[in-house]
Amino acid sequence: MSERENLFSETAGGVPPVIMEARHVTKKFTTAGGRPLLACSDVSLQVRKGQTLGIVGESGCGKSSFVKMIVQMYPPTEGEIIYNGKDITKFKGEELRQCRRKIQMVFQDPAAAFHPKMKIMDIVTEPLLNFRLIKKSEKEAKAKELLRMVDLPEDFVYRFPHNMSGGQRQRVGIARALALEPEIIVCDEATSALDVSVQDRVIELLVKLQKEKGISFVFICHDMALIQSFAHQVAVMYLGNIVEVLPGSEVAANAKHPYTQAMLGAIFSTKMDFTKKIESIESEAPSPADVPPGCPFQNRCDRCMEICRTQKPKLTEIGPGHQAACHAL
Amino acid sequence: MDLLNVKDITVTYGRNPRPTIEHFSLDMKEGEIVSIVGESGSGKTTVIRAILGLLPGGGKVDQGDILFQGQSLLNLKKEQWRELRGSQISMIFQDSGAMINPIRRIGDQFVEYIRTHQKMSRKEAWNKGVEMLEKMRLPSGDTIMRNYPFQLSGGMRQRVGIAMSMTFQPKLLLADEPTSALDVTTQAQIVRQFMELRESYGTAMIVVTHNIGVAAYMADKLIVMQYGKVVDAGTRDEVMNNPASEYTKNLLAAVPEMGGKRYV
Repeated sequence: MSERENLFSETAGGVPPVIMEARHVTKKFTTAGGRPLLACSDVSLQVRKGQTLGIVGESGCGKSSFVKMIVQMYPPTEGEIIYNGKDITKFKGEELRQCRRKIQMVFQDPAAAFHPKMKIMDIVTEPLLNFRLIKKSEKEAKAKELLRMVDLPEDFVYRFPHNMSGGQRQRVGIARALALEPEIIVCDEATSALDVSVQDRVIELLVKLQKEKGISFVFICHDMALIQSFAHQVAVMYLGNIVEVLPGSEVAANAKHPYTQAMLGAIFSTKMDFTKKIESIESEAPSPADVPPGCPFQNRCDRCMEICRTQKPKLTEIGPGHQAACHAL
Repeated sequence: MDLLNVKDITVTYGRNPRPTIEHFSLDMKEGEIVSIVGESGSGKTTVIRAILGLLPGGGKVDQGDILFQGQSLLNLKKEQWRELRGSQISMIFQDSGAMINPIRRIGDQFVEYIRTHQKMSRKEAWNKGVEMLEKMRLPSGDTIMRNYPFQLSGGMRQRVGIAMSMTFQPKLLLADEPTSALDVTTQAQIVRQFMELRESYGTAMIVVTHNIGVAAYMADKLIVMQYGKVVDAGTRDEVMNNPASEYTKNLLAAVPEMGGKRYV
């Protein structure tokens, strides 16, 4: 126990303490054909208090599977997730229910995340009523307070989800996640369905709330340019493996892993040189149901060596706060 | 003669008095790529649907005219449209897989499509399909012809869509969010493929997208729309470097950039 306590109270050099840590988390599914599918392979990540952990990767890389284990939608096959010194994957019953209060989620499609026949007032206060934190008579006042927090007009409490724009709905999603005053909010592609100008304002809101309330975010995203603009740490996933972890401020200049670089090369920017040919690796990612032995990225990597085909590279420290899993580094 | 002239059109849907697009004009030469960008609800998809005569649910062009190679498209008969669509003008959707019948094999539908437009035996049509798939860098076209849409990845389905729409080497290709459902690395591959189409076939394209980076990369001309109106139009460099409207400036500023604005 002493080792764990140390870990969670440590505040070395102004770095906020770790409040959640995934240790060697592995998740296996069985496909319809009975074949095993490795969605997450030995994932170890830390979430620090009041900071954002961004997870970036292409579809099928296991990023959603990973956060679903954080919010305890299903348990990992192996490994543990430590939160406040306890392995939350072992929780059952009331202990599990109480733990869910502290870890909330915001979904990608705000139109699908709400009951269409519930008013906004009922949507945002339902978690509070479930935990008997407010009386029914306090519902309206509390709902208005929550909407103010996410910069929505108070009279929206009487509306239905379909009477709002996508950006407004996503704000309601954030208000609902905030209702129980969680320590961690998991956002699964929370801005992908939004227009860029709306996305810009939603990210500003999240960062403001983080500074005011010290909330930690785990933010899944496929847009590298977006995630590096507000995440403290960025983890790059490929076929169930974390291939690189580095501070968000260093992604542009210091990303080292060949896959991270391939993703950066494929970004269309408004400030790019339009006459230059776009770079991109030509092949497609193999199915997560048949990941080759050795490095998962081997067949698309231009720096692939003999060792990459047989031995899987381990995530190793290559700089301060910077880890990568690659034999070539 | 221009390939396409859209002359000051206004489109309304059903009984809604407010037009969905107002005073939209566009002139295109052969082999030119025009990108239309705008946020959701700005009317960009309505523009290309109007060109192809596929406005849904009581939508109609109230004003103006659309000329393709000098011929008006507004009052064509069914047979005339059949001559034009799929052979002179084709369309690619956001997810081509979703536009293909899910319970029929790719080849089955590809052959049907080819034989609708050209007199050909099944065997010949099949081979033509395989040839087109392989031109679009899909390995083993024969296997793909035997696959169902769900057996292909998003990028492969999009290539199938492009292969189908390019079969008769149309003069004009309309693409509605052709890369929005794809991963970044696949998106780059598909964009490159579009650029190659123009090089090898001289196809003109209208690309509708909300990804401003992709739009700017592909376009000769760029059109920015908001609430159904054109707020900026011009060559790519004009619009990107000197946007006339405040809206375009804000839109460009909101696009996240590598190493750009940081929120924390």
